[in-house]
Parts: sequence; structure tokens; C-alpha cells
Amino acid sequence: MNLARWSCLFWGSLLLAGTPQYSEINVNARYRVESVELTGESESKISSGLREQMTSLVGEYLNPGLLDELSKRIASELHVRTVTHRILRGTRPDHVRVVFEVKNRLARFDLSVPRVLYHSNEGLNGVVEGTATVGAHAFTLGFVSDGDELAERYTGVRARYTNKRVGTDRLGFRFLIESYHVQWNQATQMAQASAGDRTPGIYRDRQNLEPAATVVLARPLSLSFGASFQSFQTQVPAARTQAANSLVTTLRYHRVLEDSGNQHDLDAGYSLRAATRLLNSDYAYVRHHWSLRYRVSRGRHMVTDDLTAGLITGRAPLFERFALGNSSTLRGWNKFDLDPLGGSRAAHNSLEYRYRLLEVFYDTGAVWDPGQTARLRHSSGLGVRLGVFSALVAFPVREGRIDPVFMVAMNY
Amino acid sequence: MARTARDEKLSRRSWLLAGVGVFVSPAHGEGKLFVSWDGDDLHVAAPQLHFLSGKPLERLKDGATVLYLSQLTLFADRFTTVMRRAPDRFAVSLDIWEERFSVTRLGGEARSASYLTAPAAESWCLENMAISSSGLMRDRDFWLRFELRAADPREEAGVVGDAGINLARLIELFSRQPGPQQPHWRLDAGPLRLSALRRISGRSNRNG
Repeated sequence: MNLARWSCLFWGSLLLAGTPQYSEINVNARYRVESVELTGESESKISSGLREQMTSLVGEYLNPGLLDELSKRIASELHVRTVTHRILRGTRPDHVRVVFEVKNRLARFDLSVPRVLYHSNEGLNGVVEGTATVGAHAFTLGFVSDGDELAERYTGVRARYTNKRVGTDRLGFRFLIESYHVQWNQATQMAQASAGDRTPGIYRDRQNLEPAATVVLARPLSLSFGASFQSFQTQVPAARTQAANSLVTTLRYHRVLEDSGNQHDLDAGYSLRAATRLLNSDYAYVRHHWSLRYRVSRGRHMVTDDLTAGLITGRAPLFERFALGNSSTLRGWNKFDLDPLGGSRAAHNSLEYRYRLLEVFYDTGAVWDPGQTARLRHSSGLGVRLGVFSALVAFPVREGRIDPVFMVAMNY
Repeated sequence: MARTARDEKLSRRSWLLAGVGVFVSPAHGEGKLFVSWDGDDLHVAAPQLHFLSGKPLERLKDGATVLYLSQLTLFADRFTTVMRRAPDRFAVSLDIWEERFSVTRLGGEARSASYLTAPAAESWCLENMAISSSGLMRDRDFWLRFELRAADPREEAGVVGDAGINLARLIELFSRQPGPQQPHWRLDAGPLRLSALRRISGRSNRNG
């Protein structure tokens, strides 16, 4: 029995150790590609950029590693589990045909850990999800504990129904249900107590129902719109249930371009949440959030600039307020030192440079409320990043004693 | 436990067989495992073992590279107490025009061979496996197990991706018994003694 367990571990570790590009060791790499085909799905369903990449293989020497990458990208764009590729003899000597085959399973179940973070100030954060997929329908049930994103730590369950193809590829639908128990840092509780009625109250749990549709206006521009019905039970000043019901909309643009050895990745988004008493909300506010990320990579070098800004007008509950000083903003700072209640105004920029596994970054940002002076803060750090995994150490740029912050994360 | 006279007798008989190799308890008609010794390392041969077949061969004919994971394990007793393991990985591909195999041994000391027939490619893989005999007493019994497995293409990716860790695939990877989709071979040899093994000149050094 013990031997069997060791045997499983051995084969697994040997396989995981063997992942680096062994597929590139292929004797057929000396042949030129004559043609590239896609079977099992219409080529019109993949993006023009990906089609161009497939076509660009023609005339070149076969690169099996690149075929693996393209298979993954096709699977990702078509939302299918498996895309394989076959290499067949071409019609001319020393030429080959490449055939990508889409294999779509009607139903499957996946259990995954989409994100995990250990932060030396915040502790452990993570998500575990199970997703059942039947055709275009996906049902997800997950457990979340997150003390990183907001001024609160929320722990609980979330369920999601997603249909990425409602009649057409251009229309999708999502229904999100969340139920969280909320814990507060002592600094937040004290700040709320001293601010009194000027700030919204803290709460012990909150629930959210959020139906939303996504329309692809013109690739790569998409628009999401829907409604969010949040209810939460306040602790202070008195225990009662309140609602923050809002209309939500997000405009997103994402494009990848390639030119002479450089790859450019542009991701821009604007989201709006407008809570109104017309939806029977106890709060009336408008929350704007802008994000712009530009990444350029050349060979093993990669530079990323990530700019975000937020603005809230009106009186919004604490979960809507912006927090800086976490795993992605002003890394190295403690968010409870910057603003324990979060702010209604925020601006942040992060500049990162990566070479192979090594990463260095410089963060700049401010979070504040109307009537306060925005105080710009800086932080920097370095670490290693391998795929979705990262281990970083970050320092606040300030006078006096500096306590480094350590982060080990996946997909943060 | 004290060895009986019958054990001794059988053992001597097996020493005689070791003049040309050592008989092994073969599994499922995959033939015999012959073990030889070059003074430093133990080497294996299995002329009747044909692992370039079935699903892996289909994938090779589709132009894919197939990864074979192998392991030699030395046991101090009848396959219970492990003394040493020597894992190896081989990347095999098939030239779709020439219909000949190319094999590359991955890892520290990478080696490769091309334009091989299927039996030649299989032999090349086995010839390039070895396990150190250091610490073995010349006149003490030991056992040797040879295992070979073609990596399942589903395992090669998908455990970790942009969407994080897929627990379902990880559990599947670590708990799955090799099935018809995942060909595997195992050959056992023993009891063996260094003093009874066929001596060969050194082929490859390793510290398995």
C-alpha cells in the first residue's frame, strides 16, 4: 500500500518535472508546414488574431511547442476542454499538414483552486470552486475567504450560473449569488466608531444576487449590464437589515497585438454601479471604476503598467469603498494604516518589469475622501513569478522603520 | 530468517542461468527481464517487450511526441524494502515521412538517437537505463523491478493553468490506476546476486 502511494507520487512528480517543452523534441521539426486546418468547429468562431497566427505557420518549419500553445489558445477561445493536433504528410515531399481537432465533451465536472494568497499582514486568502458544465451552461459553487480586496474579510459561499452562448456567441448571461460572513479589523472598528454617522456602518454578513448579461459589441469590445441586489445586517449603530440595490454595467476592451518580436496586450475597462431608491435601496450612490493595463513583452523581457482609478459619489456601504495596500496595490503598505475604512476616491499605478522568473515593481497611489488631501504613497519590491505562481517581498517607501510584506500567491 | 537447503539449491540454479542473463518473473507475457552488471551499474534488457504500440503508437503516427516515464527500483527483499530508485524520461517521435523513430533521453545527461526501427528504438531506451549497484554485496540477494509508462496526454497539461489549480485533474493524476488508455509495463527480477550476473563492459554511468 505504502509502495503504491510512493509509486503514484513518483509518477506524478516525474511527469510534472518533465513538463518543460519535451514536445519540442520532435523529429518532424525538420519539415515545413504546407497547410493548417481546424476540424470539429468552425474557424469563424475563433478570433482573427488567432486565425492569423495559425495561418502564419504555413511555410515555416514545424514547431511542435507552438502547436501546443495554439491548441491551448483555441481551447480557451472556444471554451472547450481539449484541442489536439495531428501532423500528416503533405502533398509535397518534406512538407506536412497540421490539423487541429476540437473535442468538445457535453458534460464535465471540475474542482479547482482559482486563487490562493498568503499575505504576511492579511493571512490566508483563497477560493475553492466546483463547476459542472453541460454544453454552454456552467454551474459553479465555491467557497471564498478574502481579506485582501476590501477593508473587510468576507468568508462564505458563492454560486454562479453562466451561459456563454445565449442563442449567439455575442450574448452571454450570468447569475451570481453570494452569501458572506464578514469580519473586521480592529483598526476599522475603531475608525468607524470615531467617525460615527459620517461613515456607513459595519455589518456582520451580507448577501448579493446579481443577474447580468454580456454583449460583444464589436470584438474585442464587450458590454455587461445587469443589477445587483445586496442586503446586509448592520451591527453598529443598531442591528437592522439594509439594502444597496444598484444597476451595474461594465465596458471592456481587450486586445493582443504582435509586431516584429514584440507582443502588446491592452486591457481597458470601465465599470459603473448606480444604487438608486427606485430599486428600493437604502443607499443612493454612484461608483465609477476605471482600469487600464498595458503590457509589452519581447523575448524574456516583459513590462506592465497597470493604472486604476475610482470615484464614489453619494453614500456607499463599506464593501463598495476602495482599499489600497493589499496584494495588488501599494504592495508593502498595510491597508489599515492607509485608510482603515477604505476611501471614496482612489488612484493607483503599478509598473512591473519581468525578466524570466524575476520580477521587480514600483507602486504609486492614493486613497482619500472628499475634504481630505490626497497623499501620494509609494512602494516597491521584487520576487519571482513562475506562470500563475509568485513569491514577492514588498517595502513601503517611507521614513522610519520599514517592515517588509511577504506574499506567496497563485493568480493574484 | 535462515535460508533452507532448497533455497540454496534453487539459487545456485539461477546463478547458472545468469550466464546469459537472469530469468525474471514476467508480467502479462511481456517477456523476461535480463539483468547485467558493468562493475558499477546494473543494466536491463527485455527483447520481448514492445512498448511502441497501441495508443502511444497512434499518437506517434499523428506526429506527436510521446513521453515515456521509466523507473528501475532495487529492493533488499522480495519487492518490499526499497534500496534505490532510478527514474528516467524518454521523448519519442516518429518521422512521418521516413517512418523511423527518434528517441531522446531527457534529464542531466541528454542523449538521442534517430532513424531507428521500432525494436531498435525500444532497445535503445532500455540500453540507456541503468541503476547504480553501489552498496550491494556481491553475494547477497537483491531484487530489481523495471517499470515503464507512457504519459497520458491529458496529464501533460491542465493541472495548473490560467484558471489556477484544477483539483479534479490533480486527484485524477495521483489516484488513477493505469488503464488501457495509459499503457504501462512492469517486469520483476530476483533474487539476484552481483556475483552471478553477466559482466559487461561499462555502457553508461549514473548515480541512480
